[in-house]
Amino acid sequence: MNALVLDGFRGEEGQGVLAVLTNALAQSGYGTEVVALREKTIAPCLGCFGCWIKTPGECVIDDDGRAVARAAVRSDLLVYVTPVTFGGFSSELKKAVDRFIPNISPFFARVQGETHHQRRYRRCPSLIGLGTLPQPNREAEAIFKTLVEHNALNWRSPRTAAAVVALDGTSDVAAIARGLIEAVAR
Amino acid sequence: MTQKKALLLVGSPRGIEQSTSGRLGGRLLDALKGRGFETDKLHVHAAVRSPDALASALAAVAAADLVILSLPLYVDSFPAPVIVFLEKVAERRTGGMADAAHGRAGRAGLFLLIQCGFPESEQNATALAIAERFAAEVGWRWLGGLALGGVETYGGSAHEVLDLIGKALAEGRSAPDLAVKKAIPAWLYRVGGNIMWRRMAKKNGVAGKLRARPYEGESTG
Repeated sequence: MNALVLDGFRGEEGQGVLAVLTNALAQSGYGTEVVALREKTIAPCLGCFGCWIKTPGECVIDDDGRAVARAAVRSDLLVYVTPVTFGGFSSELKKAVDRFIPNISPFFARVQGETHHQRRYRRCPSLIGLGTLPQPNREAEAIFKTLVEHNALNWRSPRTAAAVVALDGTSDVAAIARGLIEAVAR
Repeated sequence: MTQKKALLLVGSPRGIEQSTSGRLGGRLLDALKGRGFETDKLHVHAAVRSPDALASALAAVAAADLVILSLPLYVDSFPAPVIVFLEKVAERRTGGMADAAHGRAGRAGLFLLIQCGFPESEQNATALAIAERFAAEVGWRWLGGLALGGVETYGGSAHEVLDLIGKALAEGRSAPDLAVKKAIPAWLYRVGGNIMWRRMAKKNGVAGKLRARPYEGESTG
């Protein structure tokens, strides 16, 4: 099994949490690739629908966004790691997530009572979201978890789990990371 | 008496003139203009492309009494360049330049105008929560939002609702919680949408390739 970990931090401040997470993934038998998105050239999505109706399955922009989208398709587990930003994802993470649109089909389907897109690929990775906050904040945490859950619906992830850890020393990051991995175990 | 300033931030990659976000936001600005507001528009994607454009956009935000963020829903949230911009607004505030995050009246008001490509306007809920959270974190007044589904952005109903919202915002009130009448049911939107994708692909000569899987490979597992 392989996990693709997307590091959405702007600098090195997430290294501690990432080390704990990658260790927990290794202990659960995952081969892990960590992508520091800040080091990648990923232009903003143009909203052109070219990835659906001109070059189906591939973004029209030829930059690192393509390789990250490809790696996401080929992973068994996709992991977002990000500073919780107004309850959502950092801009570093979001620039990559916006470019995952080619990985789903343009065709609509009814999923859990809502309209979403059909799968493009026969298998889709499960999705974990791990957010960090300077101190615990229940409101931001609730928004983050809902956001990850909805992303999983859109990516048609078979399983999903999300958690937020506080960087003030009050969170047991290792236990939380293990809990997330167990939650998406097949 | 100094006129109050309303600033429209268009968060669509298609720009101010070519986007639904620009068109709907413009309608709201018109409603404010008729009620004594001085109005201005900015394209967020252009603002984050260079330090000069960013500085000028942040100054415009600092001078605004009312900020209207108008954008399409991108994967349950805002398009990435909009998050870049909001991060910069928040940074300036925490960096001691409180003027950048507060309007000249003391606390700028924020209104979110959002539309998604799905027929259910409820799918914008997380993005609305993020906008409200941003307002709380930078000390702005949250004035509410209008969430539209894919078929609600056209026709008179959206315009009528925007005029009512403009009236409330001009009077310094929060926006009333309004919904736009759905023109067609969700199932019909899906059927019509699927026909539209096939037609567009055919026009581009890729009709048979819509379900291509260019990244399919063996899992290492």
